[in-house]
Amino acid sequence: VKIKRHVYSLLIFVLLAACAFLRTHLVHAALGEDAASIELDRAAFAAKRNASRSTAIYSVEEMVAGLTTIREYVSSSGTVFGVAWMGTRPPDLNVLLGSYADDYQTTQAQATQTTRVRGRQPISVKGDHVVVETWGHMRKLQGHAYDPSLIPEGVTAHDIQ
Amino acid sequence: MTSSKLLSAVLTLLAIALSSCAASSAPSSSATVTSGLTNGSTLPPLSGSNVMALTVNGSLCSAANSQGYLNKPCVSVTICDLTGANCQTIDDILLDTGSFGLRVFSSILNTGLAAALTPLRNGNSPIVECVNFVDNSADWGPVELAKVGLGGEPGIDVPIQVINSTFGNSATYCPGADADPVAAGFNGILGVGLFAQDCGEGCATTTQNKMYYACASSSDSASCSEIAVSLAQQVTNPVSLLPLDNNGVIVELPSVSFGGTDSASGYLVLGIGTRSDNTPVGVTAYAADPDAGEFTTSFSGSTYSSSFLDSGSNALYFSPPSSISAELPDCGNTDAGAAGWFCPASTTLFSAMNSGYSGSTSGNVSFASGNFLSLANTSNSVFSELAGSLSDGGQSFDWGLPFYLGRNVYVGIENTSSSLGTGPYWAY
Repeated sequence: VKIKRHVYSLLIFVLLAACAFLRTHLVHAALGEDAASIELDRAAFAAKRNASRSTAIYSVEEMVAGLTTIREYVSSSGTVFGVAWMGTRPPDLNVLLGSYADDYQTTQAQATQTTRVRGRQPISVKGDHVVVETWGHMRKLQGHAYDPSLIPEGVTAHDIQ
Repeated sequence: MTSSKLLSAVLTLLAIALSSCAASSAPSSSATVTSGLTNGSTLPPLSGSNVMALTVNGSLCSAANSQGYLNKPCVSVTICDLTGANCQTIDDILLDTGSFGLRVFSSILNTGLAAALTPLRNGNSPIVECVNFVDNSADWGPVELAKVGLGGEPGIDVPIQVINSTFGNSATYCPGADADPVAAGFNGILGVGLFAQDCGEGCATTTQNKMYYACASSSDSASCSEIAVSLAQQVTNPVSLLPLDNNGVIVELPSVSFGGTDSASGYLVLGIGTRSDNTPVGVTAYAADPDAGEFTTSFSGSTYSSSFLDSGSNALYFSPPSSISAELPDCGNTDAGAAGWFCPASTTLFSAMNSGYSGSTSGNVSFASGNFLSLANTSNSVFSELAGSLSDGGQSFDWGLPFYLGRNVYVGIENTSSSLGTGPYWAY
């Protein structure tokens, strides 16, 4: 009976750990994940999907969350290589960047420490694996994020917006 | 005027990157501008009740909050409760033509004044706002009614944001909210841009606006829900509520020669054509689009159709057209800590053209980019040639504070009129 109880505890622990892992790595995931993860973002943002559009190289999945539009760029192999946003507020980047969020937060924190000039200004944060860039002004804040190693040939960062 | 004097005047104009009078469709080609546009470092005195002192860095900016902050335009405002019994004058307020409404840190307010302001509520719940800025920084705090004094104007009752990241659960609803004035770089922000409210119709009609929340309480465990907020309850550009001078402002700053200076002094003049000290003369108006307040900049073969003037951006920011990208290398090539700034071999002059949203007016603008590393190595804080890159591939030209040096820039508020037209418009 005692051993059984230990097994149950262990099982519960493993399940909880798996849930925590899934919460951070699957439910909150789009960039770098497959196209199916876009639906998870839509749910997290309580957004409405718009019709997708395609070029020869990639497709663009668009969703609208309140006053902000979010676009996800999917390569022909089905991987989200870039995300972009425009609106009154940026979306929660912990959700949108998925497994890249830590890379962004760490790099931005370092940049804040070493930046030579303060002031409200567009940013370009280049982490080990992700680039996050912003521009715009009140009522129309814009930005994008991408993994340079995932961008298909023939596509540039400027296409992601 | 002798030819040598003429030549010298033309060269001076070029050298300080001024071309406000070169607009192709200006009604008059007169170079005279009301209130005195000068090529020197000092503007003639102005003293009307509609005039506020403005310093770039300098005496109205707090030294503690301005460390390493270049091209920072500061004013002071007076904040009172609605009865006028508790009042406080606060300096180090960033003058921002790129936002709308007054925001001030609660930690700056006297205890008596902070307690006497009138919180706006949704039912019994305080209305709390999260606003983001372009650098992904954010301000969080309750929306409260205050009586705000600008210069010698009568106090006006207006919703302001009392910035306070410890009010309610900012970590959930406003991640990255500025904790204090040192972190933000200012005691507050005065948004005097083209619009009357910070959000506008979108937040009045859309619940899911992610800017306005009703929070159960000020406790950090309180839950908040997104709410629609009427225009009258949104954080509002106080200029739009002035009795007489409600149709806009003029930002007047002296020119600053290349190499920079430690500070510059000018004026924020309230109202356009409402008094003798704010009559527009010799300027061209450029319509801005009614949704985003943008117009078009054409530069070296590229068309930046989402461009804007923004005193709160501390430099000129744009994505260089490929034809000139070799002239504007990124400083990050030689110094990783300065990535994003331009490092030309020497200060380089450029010419662009701005066009109104409706396309009816256009005019040339000269500007310059210095070598950021050289500028940063001086002890100066105000530069007309501070420029850096923006990563949108050429959609927007962000005309920041350097554009304002040596100009009188008129900001025409939406749905108001002056002799320059009906807002939203810019004129210079």
